[in-house]
Amino acid sequence: MAANFWASTQRRHWLFSKEKLAEIRDNLKERDKLAHSQFPLPDSRLLNIYFNQQLTKLGKRMSTRQQALATAQVYVKRFYTKVELRYTNPYLVLTTAFYLACKMEECPQHIRFVVNDAKLLWPGTSPYPITSVSSVRLFLVPSAHTYALDFITSDVSKLGECEFSLISEMNSQMIVHHPYRTLSELQTELNLTSDEVALAWSVINDHYLTDLPLLYPPHVIAVMAILTAVVFKPSQTNFHGTGPPSLAGALREGGITNALAAIGEKNSPGPPPRVQRVINWLAESEVDIKAVIECTQELVSLYEVWEQYSEKHCKELIGRMVKSKNLDK
Amino acid sequence: MDNRRIRTSRSDHTSTCLEIASSLVAPRTFLFSQPSKGSLNFPLRRISTLSRSTMDKSQPSSFQQLEKLGEGTYATVFKGKNRQTGEMVALKEIHLDSEEGTPSTAIREISLMKELKHESIVSLYDVIHTENKLMLVFEYMDKDLKKYMDSRGDHGQLDYVTIKSFMHQLLRGIAFCHENRVLHRDLKPQNLLINKKGQLKLADFGLARAFGIPVNTFSNEVVTLWYRAPDVLLGSRTYNTSIDIWSAGCIMAEMYTGRPLFPGTTNEDQLQKIFRLMGTPSERSWPGISQFPEYKPNFHVYATQDLRLILPQIDQLGLDLLNRMLQLRPEMRISAPDALRHPWFNDLPQLQAQMQQPMVGGYGGMVGGQPNY
Repeated sequence: MAANFWASTQRRHWLFSKEKLAEIRDNLKERDKLAHSQFPLPDSRLLNIYFNQQLTKLGKRMSTRQQALATAQVYVKRFYTKVELRYTNPYLVLTTAFYLACKMEECPQHIRFVVNDAKLLWPGTSPYPITSVSSVRLFLVPSAHTYALDFITSDVSKLGECEFSLISEMNSQMIVHHPYRTLSELQTELNLTSDEVALAWSVINDHYLTDLPLLYPPHVIAVMAILTAVVFKPSQTNFHGTGPPSLAGALREGGITNALAAIGEKNSPGPPPRVQRVINWLAESEVDIKAVIECTQELVSLYEVWEQYSEKHCKELIGRMVKSKNLDK
Repeated sequence: MDNRRIRTSRSDHTSTCLEIASSLVAPRTFLFSQPSKGSLNFPLRRISTLSRSTMDKSQPSSFQQLEKLGEGTYATVFKGKNRQTGEMVALKEIHLDSEEGTPSTAIREISLMKELKHESIVSLYDVIHTENKLMLVFEYMDKDLKKYMDSRGDHGQLDYVTIKSFMHQLLRGIAFCHENRVLHRDLKPQNLLINKKGQLKLADFGLARAFGIPVNTFSNEVVTLWYRAPDVLLGSRTYNTSIDIWSAGCIMAEMYTGRPLFPGTTNEDQLQKIFRLMGTPSERSWPGISQFPEYKPNFHVYATQDLRLILPQIDQLGLDLLNRMLQLRPEMRISAPDALRHPWFNDLPQLQAQMQQPMVGGYGGMVGGQPNY
């Protein structure tokens, strides 16, 4: 959804400095140290990746527009700046954020379909062996009884209640501005090739794996994505469908930072003309260049963290927490 | 006690409203396994469902619910009085259905109202959630434009200065929405609210949407038939801000005559009524028109009429503005900012100054409303 970003609630209430964000999280932790020591969870950057990927899976299952998925990602991030993760069933929060975002972005999904797909996507681990007969029955006739161990119950009113919590914790500020629009606006202005746009688009997708949506305005993210795309010519390195490591490696070599360093040093023998053109545009625009550099660094560290990421590990720790605290009930 | 409420920016007001929330029953809550320490806004997990009546007895609501004001698109609106401050509010009650959570219309309206703060747009003070309904607390307005015309005008007709003032405020509200990339999509006299100060404000954003993001298509099931733009009636799904301008044009004419300009009964009848007055468009006057889904090659061909025939009172400049708003082709329609700069409005401050004195209470017409667009 759009509206005027400069006057928006997003700009006024949902952009934080790094320090402020750290402070918010420390305060949440401070309030209940016991829960934190009892239920250790992976680093928040790893959880960011996990939540993003789980939401993406749900979105793919339900073939949703990217815009709605992106909004859902932001809702989850906003919600967890207000509420301690350990008091929630993250699977229910993810499902609800998805459901609410679909309504906001005018591609609503039926509550029952969302709940059913979420149940199938995140089954609880059954401590009892399931006989073949019951597993057939379980598949055909989902009853509350057989699914009692799932992370999401069939009771759709739970989702409705969680939806209101989400709306409430976000102070009804549900309109989210995304970098995609800036990207399509700049596409013609900067004469970007379709490969570059595709790569920039996927960099924007990746930024939802980090805290960046809470830290920088969408146009800064878009500019960062465009720069990344132009510096790493997609024609040379085949980015499509590749995992993060290759991009991480490329970013580590410092291409973008070097390119940006060229701003201000006019006439320096620097980047190739295509890159130079974007840099010239950037220098003349009023975009905060320092912020763009910081975003790039954040993205670099995402790709580094990603290398240590284990989905299984996140899943286990969250599953244990949800089950032992009965958060799914 | 669980207060499930959404705070809005009017914090002064919010504090005065706090009382009501505590008198309402909390929804069963599930989300939080335990209270965190210290002051807590979160409900406990699974608060047992308390009986509403007991709670009402123990803590009277801080809003006295008064008479019903009307039925909105998706809700019932009551007049309310803040017991503490005596301030009047409008309480919009939305029934919650467990099968769809909070209705999309309510979500859209609440979220847009959070972004759109303007004096020509009705303010949302608070959102209160009870077990089976959602209540939006709005700024109180005395009546909608439809009722205002019925109660005040001569057979619904309004005087020249009132029309000019209302049109100016209407266009300012529209311009603000459009500037913020929001389409109202359902402008009609029932959605324009008037207060005793002669202010007009846009309300009912349940069908509004934000635009400017690449989306597939818009739904064409918007805007009450009578105020619906011809391009939408022809099945266009790529409409834009111009649809709100068409509605504004219809409303302007209605203020002059007291009767809806195009009171169609069906989609086809609506188009016919428009063509009878504005002329039937052809591929020559509107290139591409034959590509619209609802286009019929056998539309009855009418010649364009002079709007003055049905609006004998209108002056030359007013007629010019109206004609620019009621262009059949959306791209020919004037924009809201341009309409506000139209010379018809040049004498508005002067007219309002002259009207200042005789205004004593009640529905004077345009008081105060100094155009400071």
